[in-house]
Amino acid sequence: MTIKPLTADQKDALQEVLNIAMGQAGDSLARILDAFVALSVPRIRIVEVANLGKTVVEMVGENIDVSAVRQAFYDDLRGEAIVIFGQAGCRDLADLMGYDTDIDADAEHELLLDVTNVLVGAILNGITETLGTELSFTAPSIMAERRPIDTIITPENLPWTHALLLEVNYSLENRAFKSHLLLLMAEDAIESLRKAVNDFMESI
Amino acid sequence: MAQPLDRAPLLNFIVDRLNVGVFVINKNHEIVLWNHFMQVHSNRKPEEVLGKNLFDAFPELPRTWLEKKIQSVFILKNFAFTSWEQRPFLFNFRHNRPVTGGVDSMRQDCTLIPVKEEDGAVNNVCITLLDVTDTSIYQNMMKDAMRRLDEASNRDGLTGIYNRRYLEQALSREFGRVKRYDGTLSLIMIDLDHFKRVNDQKGHLAGDEVIRRAAETLNHGVRDTDTLGRYGGEEFVVLLPQTKIDGALILAERLRGLIAAEPIMYNDDPIAVTISVGVAEMNADIASHEQLLQHADEALYESKKNGRNRVTSYRPIGS
Repeated sequence: MTIKPLTADQKDALQEVLNIAMGQAGDSLARILDAFVALSVPRIRIVEVANLGKTVVEMVGENIDVSAVRQAFYDDLRGEAIVIFGQAGCRDLADLMGYDTDIDADAEHELLLDVTNVLVGAILNGITETLGTELSFTAPSIMAERRPIDTIITPENLPWTHALLLEVNYSLENRAFKSHLLLLMAEDAIESLRKAVNDFMESI
Repeated sequence: MAQPLDRAPLLNFIVDRLNVGVFVINKNHEIVLWNHFMQVHSNRKPEEVLGKNLFDAFPELPRTWLEKKIQSVFILKNFAFTSWEQRPFLFNFRHNRPVTGGVDSMRQDCTLIPVKEEDGAVNNVCITLLDVTDTSIYQNMMKDAMRRLDEASNRDGLTGIYNRRYLEQALSREFGRVKRYDGTLSLIMIDLDHFKRVNDQKGHLAGDEVIRRAAETLNHGVRDTDTLGRYGGEEFVVLLPQTKIDGALILAERLRGLIAAEPIMYNDDPIAVTISVGVAEMNADIASHEQLLQHADEALYESKKNGRNRVTSYRPIGS
């Protein structure tokens, strides 16, 4: 399947939607965590699935171990969000998310799941509110734990050839925590997003 | 023709009688709905809990964490989840498998749902609580079976120590780690001396016993962080993560001494056993884990050539 690239107008509009969404997401996160969350300007691109693993390594950095959590979303938009966590800053997050001082392996898993749910929810709700679409979520689940970054995504297991990749980086002010959020929408979902963006452009 | 139903009482009935815990709290965490499932399992009637603060009614709940979670649902107007795999339960309820269960309390998956008003505002959060005790029991059984299967496929049948397959996996993993993060890695290769003679003179059962007992002695001799496995017939390999050649040589010498110290008894017949040992350490020039094995093997060959029952450290040819 070939994918029509987003037109310059569509890309601009989507970038604008994302910028608004990031503002809302940052505000929500700050209220939940009582801490300032710095969000990067989101990058959007269409990637070939064969290059996805390499793209992720380029984004996050080479030769590091990471943990990753995935969460699916469906309804008007359909896709998967993946949040990649480095090893630093887990302790910081535990404080902010209301965990006790000593966290065991299960609590750490739950913490990553909780944080993912909040990060993904904040971003996607920002997007859907701006676009006027509806979304539902599945429960997040652990994809990988302390594994080399280049083993996280194995394209041979993916049934599609192109995906829309949206990348946002998060960090907490004065804390070590950093994470990367990827939203991946497969071919058919890109068309739904294109339609939503077109509707949005007409409405403004 | 079916009569059109009045939806509201029907929905009320279903929510109440659903085999799922359903309750709703408002922004002050006061309980505003409490279904039959919650009533039965908590042994608290709706009239006892409605209007009460959730955390006053159930002080055993993990308050700080749950408040944060509920707050995130109000702020983000978004679902939130808990899974039994990380947090076995929210409410400590009994389950319906008191005899066959093997777990102490009901395992629960919970979903927190923002209750959206027509104008989009969220003033209440609905929490559903799914009894997943059965699933958890089956999953634990499956995990246990997988673990045993995995364990069995990594072990050598005769000696119970790791097999060649596992050794190669572990070596490749360690090798990758050292390449990525620096650090080091040493390898010890061991061969029983004149093993063919034991087999020929005492029979294969004696040979098996010698291999089994030698593996046992080696297993006692290595450190917890080392990986010992049977590499081939009478050949063993020890993987020593984060160990330089000096440390590896000390360990190799200890293993040699342990084996040589006592003959192995077979049907009251003492069989004297010694080992030849080769030791190699990882360095930047080594491109693959096979090459590291090759180095240890070459050093082992030197030990054999120089009279057996000895330890040799790998030296590049010409040095």
